[in-house]
Amino acid sequence: MDGEQFYGAAYRGSKQFTQQDARTANATGFGAAADDYAERGIDLNEQLIRNKPATFFFRMKGDAMTGAGIFDGDVLIVDRSLKLANGKVIVAILNGELLIRRYHKNFSSAFLIAENERFKSINLAEFSDFALWGVVVYSIHQL
Amino acid sequence: MKAIVDCNSFYCSCEKVFRPDLHHKPVVVLSNNDGCIVSRTDEAKKLGVGMAAPYFQNKDVIEKNDVAVFSSNYHLYGDLSMRVMDTLKELVGENNVEIYSVDEAFLDLDLIGFDQLESAAKNIKETVEQWTGIEVSVGVAPTKVLAKVANRLSKKDKKTSRGIMVLNTDEEIINALRRTAVEDIWGVGYRSATKLKEIWGIYDGLQLRNMNEEWASTYLGGVVGERLIRELKGDFSIKMEKPLINKKMIATTRMFGQAVTNINDIKEAVATYTSKAAEKLRRQRSAAKVVSVFVVPKEESHAGDFRYGNIISDYQTLPSATSFTHELIKPAIQLVDKLYKKGNSYKKAGVMLSGLVPDTSIQSNLFYTEPKNCGRLLMDMIDNVNFSMRDDVLKFAASGTTRDWKMRQEMRSKRFTTRWEELFSVH
Repeated sequence: MDGEQFYGAAYRGSKQFTQQDARTANATGFGAAADDYAERGIDLNEQLIRNKPATFFFRMKGDAMTGAGIFDGDVLIVDRSLKLANGKVIVAILNGELLIRRYHKNFSSAFLIAENERFKSINLAEFSDFALWGVVVYSIHQL
Repeated sequence: MKAIVDCNSFYCSCEKVFRPDLHHKPVVVLSNNDGCIVSRTDEAKKLGVGMAAPYFQNKDVIEKNDVAVFSSNYHLYGDLSMRVMDTLKELVGENNVEIYSVDEAFLDLDLIGFDQLESAAKNIKETVEQWTGIEVSVGVAPTKVLAKVANRLSKKDKKTSRGIMVLNTDEEIINALRRTAVEDIWGVGYRSATKLKEIWGIYDGLQLRNMNEEWASTYLGGVVGERLIRELKGDFSIKMEKPLINKKMIATTRMFGQAVTNINDIKEAVATYTSKAAEKLRRQRSAAKVVSVFVVPKEESHAGDFRYGNIISDYQTLPSATSFTHELIKPAIQLVDKLYKKGNSYKKAGVMLSGLVPDTSIQSNLFYTEPKNCGRLLMDMIDNVNFSMRDDVLKFAASGTTRDWKMRQEMRSKRFTTRWEELFSVH
């Protein structure tokens, strides 16, 4: 995901207009030069949500992930269609509960790591029901 | 080849998406007003919890076995249903998906080679489950009726089928039909099933398939019966349908939480249902010419057929078609005056809007001046506010101010996927 760009044939954002309806300057005098460069504009739905049916929002509670820049009250954008990979921040299923942690795997074992010294890392060898719920792709933080 | 993708215990599956602790646990979802059980997981079924059975009749089993109980959360189910359908469209192409109900869709798989059907079905199932969290079963066969048969069998024996069944050869089809009772075939109603068994001695799908079309035409409802026989023989005859965009009739009806005797209460309820129906009407850009209202009195004995009960209804034709709530509430309330009998208590009421025409071409009547644009502006504003904030922030006073005529939902989960303030919290 990081730094990856998709150029899809279909527009998946939420702006309900096509290139034919792109707004023009509507100038009565000389102003049409900019019209040649009219665009749809920036659309957060298009940029932040890559796979709409698989994308869900969560709200972060607590400070387990402050080191990763995720603070209490932040909104997380989670994509269920992405695969589990080393180093990703994920929504994990553990003990029947949902948990935000960073997934870390080395040659012999796998861990869920909190980005806060006060929290212990979880060794997944001790749990039988670990599963991936989804991968966190963005965090929305109010300043 | 056609496929049907069917969500397993859909409402329960939706609840389980955010509750992994309920994996493999008995779960039930209740109907409006928490009256009946409308969805149950296999685990709840095994405990003997009945389908469509009143909640109170099952309360003992439910409490003893720690069954998780939810009020219906249609915001969540509607959103997840759309996600499932969008995923299917992504996989096989928008034009190859026919949404059949909130939790079922037919797929046209004609472009997929015979030797790849099994892996295609597996891919569909796994993708839907990964993207949406909703577990599905997939039945694949040459026709819609046979796909339904396959789907049903795949659900019956999940261990070996893993939720997928492909009926590719004649032999597989015959085998599957032999294991399917006539009443379990899509399109065979309870009444025709009894007739088939008692008069014709037809008990399973294979026996029915061996009948000919002339017989079906005479004894099984004409063209519909013929098509059914052809479908069972593997001859694709029930076409994929285009979505129903505009409904011909709009109804809103609910059971009251408890019996109601006061006429003003019924009027409030009817006004509320009219507002809801008018909202649906405007959403599809239609206007209605006829308003009907019905009420169902509470019977003293339940000896009769409780499903039909004693419906009392009346209608009024409007001078010109309208989509404005205030113009629809007025006749609706007048109808309540007409239908109501003092001393009776009522358990249900409903409003139906019919005679629908496109809203842009409302034909005006010579003797009735066309309503000004203000009405439309007002409706747009009400709809926008209600749609973007929460239900019924703005409503007409006739709907009452104190009572909630909508559903009683005491055990509803949050609207995790549709409300910003109700997002699921994670640690």
